[in-house]
Amino acid sequence: MDIFHNIILGFQVASSWENLLFCFVGVLIGTLIGVLPGIGPTTGVAILIPITFGMNATTAIITMAGVYYGAMYGGSTTSILLNVPGESASVVTTLDGYQMARKGRAGPALGMAALSSFIAGTFSVLMLTFLAPPLADYAVSFGPPEYFALTFMGLTLVTSLGGDSPLKGLISGAVGLLAACVGIDAQSGVARFTFDNMNLLDGVGFIGMAVGLFAASEVLVNIEEPMQQVFTDAKLGFLSLFPNLQDWKDSFGALWRGSILGFVIGVLPGAGATIASFMAYGLEKKVSKHPEKFGTGVIEGVAAPEGANNSAAGGAMVSLLTLGIPGSGTTAVMLGALMIHGLRPGPLLFSTHPDFVWGLIASMYIGNVMLVILNMPLIGIWVRLLKVPYSILMPMIITISAVGVFATDNNIFDMWVMFFFGVLGYVMRKLDYPPAPMVLALVLGPMVEMSLRQSLTISHGSMAIFFTRPISGTLSVIALFSLFAPLFRILWNRYRAGKSAAA
Amino acid sequence: MRKADLITGIVLLMLSGYVIQEAWRMPQSGTFGPGAGFLPLWVGIILAILAVILFMTAWRRQETEKDNRSPFPAKRALIAITGVLGGLAVYILLIEVLGYLVDTFLFVTFLMGIVEREKWPRTVMVALATTAGLFIIFQVLLGITLPSNMFGF
Repeated sequence: MDIFHNIILGFQVASSWENLLFCFVGVLIGTLIGVLPGIGPTTGVAILIPITFGMNATTAIITMAGVYYGAMYGGSTTSILLNVPGESASVVTTLDGYQMARKGRAGPALGMAALSSFIAGTFSVLMLTFLAPPLADYAVSFGPPEYFALTFMGLTLVTSLGGDSPLKGLISGAVGLLAACVGIDAQSGVARFTFDNMNLLDGVGFIGMAVGLFAASEVLVNIEEPMQQVFTDAKLGFLSLFPNLQDWKDSFGALWRGSILGFVIGVLPGAGATIASFMAYGLEKKVSKHPEKFGTGVIEGVAAPEGANNSAAGGAMVSLLTLGIPGSGTTAVMLGALMIHGLRPGPLLFSTHPDFVWGLIASMYIGNVMLVILNMPLIGIWVRLLKVPYSILMPMIITISAVGVFATDNNIFDMWVMFFFGVLGYVMRKLDYPPAPMVLALVLGPMVEMSLRQSLTISHGSMAIFFTRPISGTLSVIALFSLFAPLFRILWNRYRAGKSAAA
Repeated sequence: MRKADLITGIVLLMLSGYVIQEAWRMPQSGTFGPGAGFLPLWVGIILAILAVILFMTAWRRQETEKDNRSPFPAKRALIAITGVLGGLAVYILLIEVLGYLVDTFLFVTFLMGIVEREKWPRTVMVALATTAGLFIIFQVLLGITLPSNMFGF
């Protein structure tokens, strides 16, 4: 059996002391980031790129993946205890989690959040193990038209699923594509949009941009809306954390539905853990025998979203590793990190770097176990960490970001890139422009452009090549559909409004 | 928000105009296929269309309650944000003059003590710890040479 062979290889890689240590560091930082409101997993991963720059690629990505799924665990803690979501994927958890805490059932809520995260997380890594290799095999036959259609679909899905306003998502993505054009064109050697600045010949630095757009702008937004210090007096003994038999019975269906739904949504490019958690909660409410009780503190309302967001984190790794298409802002930043380490995610990654791929997957099994151990007994410590005021965190985050951005290339210019995108990111957040499409476009830009130009070379300039080949045709149609979906929605609403006015 | 959309629409239209003009001058086709100017030109055109849609929808929209509120913060928060950005700019400008150690210490002290108005003993402690911690991570553990001043630290 090939897969067992691979898994064993993976565990050999993942259980070297170095990888174990950094897996632990990753999930620890991830939990911390999840617990602290005002700093999300994307920021965490972006800040980590410079720090992990000197490590070998496997260790670096194991650490970052640990931050990603670790944050999904940690985010639930503050949602439940304080009604303050630690990051966006835990927003729904507040609905029932906080109500449970108010009824004195904080323990089982926290325990269920951690355990359902563990179960769903493990489920999604299992699915990743079995689903990723065939998908990669399939994608090996992709030519430039398929790649263009795929990356194009990734971009359009991120923009149309990402925010409230698809138009603003598209604008963000288009500006990102333009940023990707800056520098010397790899195919013809022409310098584009460099403003005669030597530093721009290599293009816009990815690290500076990602850290600026996520970390720096997050700091600026948080300064403006000071968070009040919140405390809880909930007493949390270790044993009080375990849900009772009735809780398990209530949550069983929610757990597996949340896991599957979360995984599927995670695999789709464009929709990440946040959307998964919202949809899982909605689904549970729909199938429940007592939908009216949702929002008053039912345990299914905690199990479903917490399972779904963890499962989505695993699912997102499928499209990242096999196709090189990130499903969310966080995985987009990870894609950039992989490229910095000289690994190009995509179907060939499985055959050229099996030690990396399987080492990473195995580390996710290990990391999930570490997380459940970290989160159950130590929950009291995490809660106490909330007392660290933002006035201490803010200077630290911004200094780590600035020094880290400098340290990757020893180049002051990268710090200015961070500064620029920090301001831009702040303005974008204020005006409801999602930053994720921009980062994704910058990372995918060179691939989009290369495959587009190669395809058109093959077809002698005819766009039909993207529609006549079956795979690229399907993907292109999905892409176009998702692009125009908002338009259809507007027309439909107008039609209905007109009809009701006539009636 | 309506006003902001109108303004960003115009700004984006100007940006796309610049992009289209620049891309026009680049070679549109190479030896075998599309050249360097191909993608920027099309993205520029798409951005121009999006900017026009943004502008037109904002133009035709009725003012709502949300539109009357400015998306940007009141004076006090604005001062704090300007403080952080100004501090960061000065930090970047001075890092090769003052050296990493002095510059970082002053930067953290400024952010905590002046922007956030924390108590001074605490400020100095956090500033020292941050400076030392990052120095240990980057210079000692990762072997990256951080900038130093003319006195060598």
